[in-house]
Amino acid sequence: MNKIIKFLSSLRFTLFLISLLGVMFMLGLWIPQQNLVSEEIYEQWRHNSPKLLGALESIGFTSIYASSTMLTLWAFFFLNLALVMWQRIPLIKKRIALPEGRPGNPETAPGYPFHASYQLPTGMDAPAVIGLLISNGFTVSGDGEGFCGVKNRLSPIAFGLFHISFFFILLGGMISVYTKFVGVLDLAEGETFQGEVSRFNAKPQLPKIGTPPIVAFTVKSVLPTRINGTPTGLKVNLVDSRGVEHEANVNRPYKADNSSFIVNTVGPTPLFVVQDRSGKDIDGAYTKLNLTGGKEDVFSLAGFHFRTTFYPDYYVKDGAPASRSQEFKNPLFMVTVEQTGKTIAQGPVTKDGTLAFADYQLVLKELPYWVRFSVYKERGLSIIYAGFAIASLAVIWRFLFYRREIIGIVRQEDGRALLVVAGRSEFYKSLTEDEFTSLFEKILALKGRTDT
Amino acid sequence: MSNVEMIFFWISLVIYSLASGGYIYSFVFKNPRFMPKMVILILIGFLTHTIAICARYQAQGHLPWAGDYESAMMGGWFIIAGTLYVGWRNKSLQALATASVSLVIVMMGFGVMRNPVLTPMAAALKNYWLYIHVYFAWLAFGAYTLAMAAGVLFLMKKKSLAAGVVNPSYEKFPSLDRLDELIFRYVLFGFITDTIMISAGAIWAKDLWGSYWSWDPVETWSLVSWLIYGIAIHLRITFGWREARFAWIVVLALSTVIISFFGVTFVIDTSLHTFQVR
Repeated sequence: MNKIIKFLSSLRFTLFLISLLGVMFMLGLWIPQQNLVSEEIYEQWRHNSPKLLGALESIGFTSIYASSTMLTLWAFFFLNLALVMWQRIPLIKKRIALPEGRPGNPETAPGYPFHASYQLPTGMDAPAVIGLLISNGFTVSGDGEGFCGVKNRLSPIAFGLFHISFFFILLGGMISVYTKFVGVLDLAEGETFQGEVSRFNAKPQLPKIGTPPIVAFTVKSVLPTRINGTPTGLKVNLVDSRGVEHEANVNRPYKADNSSFIVNTVGPTPLFVVQDRSGKDIDGAYTKLNLTGGKEDVFSLAGFHFRTTFYPDYYVKDGAPASRSQEFKNPLFMVTVEQTGKTIAQGPVTKDGTLAFADYQLVLKELPYWVRFSVYKERGLSIIYAGFAIASLAVIWRFLFYRREIIGIVRQEDGRALLVVAGRSEFYKSLTEDEFTSLFEKILALKGRTDT
Repeated sequence: MSNVEMIFFWISLVIYSLASGGYIYSFVFKNPRFMPKMVILILIGFLTHTIAICARYQAQGHLPWAGDYESAMMGGWFIIAGTLYVGWRNKSLQALATASVSLVIVMMGFGVMRNPVLTPMAAALKNYWLYIHVYFAWLAFGAYTLAMAAGVLFLMKKKSLAAGVVNPSYEKFPSLDRLDELIFRYVLFGFITDTIMISAGAIWAKDLWGSYWSWDPVETWSLVSWLIYGIAIHLRITFGWREARFAWIVVLALSTVIISFFGVTFVIDTSLHTFQVR
């Protein structure tokens, strides 16, 4: 058992695991992942290479980030991390403790790459030197007959904090996985949503623990903006059940009940009305049409089927309908009317325009927008963000504010006070010499130094 | 590109090329007299590079934040700024420009072939986290590049000394011990800024895409490069890997950073990081 624990807590095993995780990540970049490619491409791959795909699916490599292999690696990683950190606690305690007893002779003490001696300026004595070191951030013990100064002695704690942050991210991540709700919701201007799960497109991913979003709001207005074809904004004004107005936009989702309603697509919600030839309304509805990227969509009114494409900024190019831009500057629908599978009319319909067919006419009365929300609800984010913050702060603390140590004595030589010091720091030797040279030049206001 | 931007962009590229050529000449022909002059040349190139960026900002109303061209332009600016700063603080490190400027030339050359048209700020980029995420990304790239440059110089000097070749150009460099520690220092700075970059990106992704981590290829590659530098730091601190071994790791590890910055979007169009710029 001890051997197993020793192996599981070894740093070689740590490096082995990290390397394996890196390999798995890179495999995920090379092997198409089912949730990252479109269904069409995935099925085409299945059609072209059924055996290969079957083999990869059987070992979970087409969903590699959530595969049993990956989860096993993560489990070993966190087990190893916990064991290594447990072993490191005594070492950290030892490193952050202040040195005890009289420090060694700075002229001969081993393990100190920096050695120097300075004649102290007139009037400066050991207590003054120690005071200057304290004002430069050192914690000093001892006196002129032997002192030890340590700066940033608590820095090794940051090592522990950095690695503890991984557990925060793990905990927050697990909570978010079990409480995660994902859905897609299309709402038109003027439409109200009260949290009904049935309103979501397709079947949303329901949380294993907890509820779907409990929200209620009405979409007041949708305003997309583009400049030279680049989408520069998608402002959606909402009113919640208490009458409070909210504005959502790309990068600024509407947030309520631990949920984010992220705006990402907009489309037309035309009010098409079928009238008889006298102008009397027979049937009509606001219809959310998915016509982005030149797609065709269908709707039905008064027993007829209508297939339509949409040109937001219509013009005729080489005799064919086209759109100058994606901005709704000159919107036009190209409609094909069908009945019992046969086309009976075809033509353009603009705002307040009509398309005559059979004994009726199709009128476009209004053209508001609909907006697609990607809806996410998950808990645990604050724990994850805390993990990020701890990791960032800890890595700064550990690597920028690392431990420095100085030992020294002040003795009399030829009637002058002579300061003899030795210094060391974590991570560096040559750069330590530069640093301490600068430090003593600064605090003693010296320009040169006398080496021993 | 605006006309002013185009002129100053190409002037910068020519100047960097001349400087890079001067450094290579100094090493090959063992004539270090050119090196101080190359620093002045790089400084001039840096100024024209800055003018090109200002011209682009003036033409499109926002700093170059997105797309391969703008990443190359700003990333290159940060690398040159880092090189000049380090060389100003320590003259013996001016020769880092040998490797860093050469990389910037390749980056900017690649970037200018990748659709440098002026674009308004896409809605997806309008978030304060953009500034934090991208700023720390460039700092990380710059630091890792300096580490790579120091690694290249270390290996060249070590090889020259081992072969008993007397090359006065290498005497312009710090000692091998000092170079070795500088490599580690740059890696640490890069790792710190890389950590902040990934954290800021994840927080931003939550508001933009709904999830703090989507295993998007750019995200995954950035994690891979972060892990590799993490392994390098572990090897150094815990197993005492130093000098040539460490230099080689650092030189090769930069390739993962280049892939995550430029390689992924070069190969695929469907990354979330495309931001509708193209």
